[in-house]
Amino acid sequence: MTRVVVIGGGLAGLMAAARLVDQGAEVTLVTFGIGGLQLSHGGFDVLGYTPERVDRPFDALDDFIAAHPDHPYARLGTQGVREGVAFACTFFGDLFVGNSERNWLLPTAVGALRPTYLASPTMIAADPRADHDPVVVVGLRQLKDFQADLIAGNLVKQQIPARAIVLDFPARIREADASGLTYARAMDRADYRADFADALRKQLSKGEKALIPAIVGHRTATAFTDLRDRLGSPLAEIPLPPPSVPGMRLNDYASRHLQDIRVRWILGSRVVAIHGHDRRASSVDVATSGHIIELKADAFVYAPGGFESGAISLDSYGKVLETHLGLPVQVPEGQLIGPDRTAEQPLFRSGLATDDHMRVLDQQNRPVFENLFAAGGVLAGAMRWSEKSGEGIAAASAVRAADAIGDLA
Amino acid sequence: MRTYDCDVVVVGGGSTGAGVVRDVAMRGYSTILVDRADLGQGTTGRYHGLLHSGGRYVVSDPHSATECAEENTIVTRIHADAVETTGGLFVSVPEDDLAFSDDFLAGCQKTGVRVTEISVADALKREPRVNPKIQRAFLVEDGTVDGWQMVWGAARSAQEHGAKILTYTAVVGIEKQGDAVTAVRCIDRRSGEDVTISCRFVINAAGAWSHHIAELAGCHDVEVVPGRGIMIAMNHRLVNTVINRCTYPADGDILVPVHTVAIIGTTDVRADDPDELPIPHNEVQQMLDCGEVLIPGFRQARALHAWSGARPLVKDARVSAQDTRHMSRGMSILDHQARDGVSGILTIAGGKLTTYRLMAKNIVDRMCEQLGEERDCRTADEAVPNSTPGKNYVVTHRLHDREADRRDDQIICECELMSRSMLVKAMHADPMASMDDLRRHLRLGMGPCQGGFCSLRATGIGCAEGIFDADTGNARLKEFLSHRWIGLWPILYGDQVRETALDEWIFQGLLDIDHLPEEKVVFEPVPLNAGAQAAQADAKPETTEVSR
Repeated sequence: MTRVVVIGGGLAGLMAAARLVDQGAEVTLVTFGIGGLQLSHGGFDVLGYTPERVDRPFDALDDFIAAHPDHPYARLGTQGVREGVAFACTFFGDLFVGNSERNWLLPTAVGALRPTYLASPTMIAADPRADHDPVVVVGLRQLKDFQADLIAGNLVKQQIPARAIVLDFPARIREADASGLTYARAMDRADYRADFADALRKQLSKGEKALIPAIVGHRTATAFTDLRDRLGSPLAEIPLPPPSVPGMRLNDYASRHLQDIRVRWILGSRVVAIHGHDRRASSVDVATSGHIIELKADAFVYAPGGFESGAISLDSYGKVLETHLGLPVQVPEGQLIGPDRTAEQPLFRSGLATDDHMRVLDQQNRPVFENLFAAGGVLAGAMRWSEKSGEGIAAASAVRAADAIGDLA
Repeated sequence: MRTYDCDVVVVGGGSTGAGVVRDVAMRGYSTILVDRADLGQGTTGRYHGLLHSGGRYVVSDPHSATECAEENTIVTRIHADAVETTGGLFVSVPEDDLAFSDDFLAGCQKTGVRVTEISVADALKREPRVNPKIQRAFLVEDGTVDGWQMVWGAARSAQEHGAKILTYTAVVGIEKQGDAVTAVRCIDRRSGEDVTISCRFVINAAGAWSHHIAELAGCHDVEVVPGRGIMIAMNHRLVNTVINRCTYPADGDILVPVHTVAIIGTTDVRADDPDELPIPHNEVQQMLDCGEVLIPGFRQARALHAWSGARPLVKDARVSAQDTRHMSRGMSILDHQARDGVSGILTIAGGKLTTYRLMAKNIVDRMCEQLGEERDCRTADEAVPNSTPGKNYVVTHRLHDREADRRDDQIICECELMSRSMLVKAMHADPMASMDDLRRHLRLGMGPCQGGFCSLRATGIGCAEGIFDADTGNARLKEFLSHRWIGLWPILYGDQVRETALDEWIFQGLLDIDHLPEEKVVFEPVPLNAGAQAAQADAKPETTEVSR
């Protein structure tokens, strides 16, 4: 049985682990943090801007790849991205809904319309192209990260009939300042949902669609449909800045699934070294509480995330580093950071270079180890947050790496 | 068109102007202060935070040292809400010549700067992060002062004595009758309205911009050389005492704990334009190296934000104009009656924030002399409003407030513990306030996330409160983020890169703010260099006619 160590608990690491188990591997997942999926907007991006807004990502990918030869999608190919999306759909089941190959266009918590390829079923009714229903943006006095007047004002500017209301409806008694998660825990309870629906229903006119913050249930999968049924009006969620309840729902689902399929999980532990010879890695050192353990394996998937996780960093002298294992980093040429905030900052394209199998390459374009693969945010060449490509890269690179390990065996 | 009439117009709302308007008002004159931007938005808001004991100048400039020592005591007393009495250490690191430390000690005794030599062990006990290889350590009475808090205190005091403060009011002309100044013409940059203030006297305290104002009165060739210095705020109070290197004043030799940060600085390079102050990469590296000398491991600490300020130094023929470090730090009063034959106007430049009150006293004394009136300065006698003697600013004051109101109020900026009611109150008090104006008053967006979470909330709350519409909100949010970026990108490394990545995930990844509907232009202020443009316009004969 092939033994694989997967490093990183974000979308790429979770999906690589699941794919490897499907192939019959014995997988150990080592995570240091909580994983970036918990911060996600709850959808699945493939390609949203090139920088023009993209309607059909798979029609745009060939041109995008031709224009960005260093992008992870250029390693994966349009077909590779499709395989990643297909596996994500299988893995997450009805947590994602597609839009017949088109991007959804969903309002954000400032009222911009943001493209995404797969969306949470709790959000799709917000796509303004679906209907011409007038919109009511529902704020909560006690939830500071969702300001209904700003959102509604920006929707109106985009010719979407919208108004804002703010409900004085605490998540817990005498709590003036509640996070989305606190609300979601309250929404897990049927009595709270009933009270909330009663309060909101009074404010809605017939035919109006309610857009509410993404707080409708953390652990209760039926909370959203239950609330919508009680309300009797079209309803959609809009994701919030962290803590992100939709991201937690995805993460909880994925974690439970990996536990069910018996992935061995080492939590809260940093990988500090990788060992091997003749270009074959044999083990990684993991700093668990109190001591270092050495994990031996036949292959390794490295998915620790990018700058946001600290796996890629820039030191005070201006050198870009991969911080855990000291792997070679591919850095764009020229000035990495510039004075215009709205311009692209090339620094953030830095990361690990790989071959088409996702094997990490050194400066001479040779694999550092034949059996060391990278996936997700650590890969060089993408501007994920502006392209809206993060999940697509993570899933497709995880699938490619896992399949390459299957081929090795 | 609005008109006012007063005795004295003060131009410039930095520490000097605020000190002058307070002094003038306390002597019983009617007075109006104008500034083209907000109070403390120029050099006063871009400085080191150091309230000098005088120690820095005991060898290089003994007269300044004595002034600092005296004014330190006064400022601490009259601005208790702005000053933290941290104390200061002068330390000799191994690279420093110990001979200087003897000169330093002798200089302190000569100039009246209170000093105590303490053992290296005691110094390290007090400040464990300081370089353990220091050879000598001297304790002085350096403190830290919040420049904005100080300026607002002086302005409040002036207002209590009848002064009027007009911010965002740019001077575009100075009218004369014969050779005597009679009025100041301004434009309200927010409304576009013309404002004319008839007066008997003008005190030009426009700092690095004062030559433009002098020019408007027909006083030519005033040479104020902006001496640019950069400062970097580190994310923690790496020290709780001001740490100075015991050397002849040089670049990057002071580390100052202010509020929740520690500020390393500074450099001194001649700037051509005080409105365009870069933060060059080589100077950032220089500051980090200097920090490393004082605090080993400094480069591993997180840099939060950087800024650049312009000292208004008056050119001294004795030193090269490139060498601003050794130009006079002392205050200079330009008597335009003697110099240019124009009466009713004085210019003050140079000096230090620590001696702002003394500078004000000196120039107002001179004004009284020219007006032939004897009125005594009282600014040292009375504390500014809200300055409770003995109750110094402490770093945790907001934590105490939030503990008290956390069940009833929201924390909008977690980094700086700013509550919703603080924000709403400030927004209603000045609905035209930009997010940067709010930041200066509330510290919104000044913490580790640099606005990552709070700026979105503040924008939305402005809309919810009916202060502005979504259009204006979008514009203010984007402007704020762009302004924060000015001080971020030059020091982006380590954990601040990670924070920036998180912020970008939120603003671009989640919210897609760069694809908000195009905003209309909501506030197109009169350009900041309107004074200079007007000066050029005034040089034309037909315009000069108007002013006569």
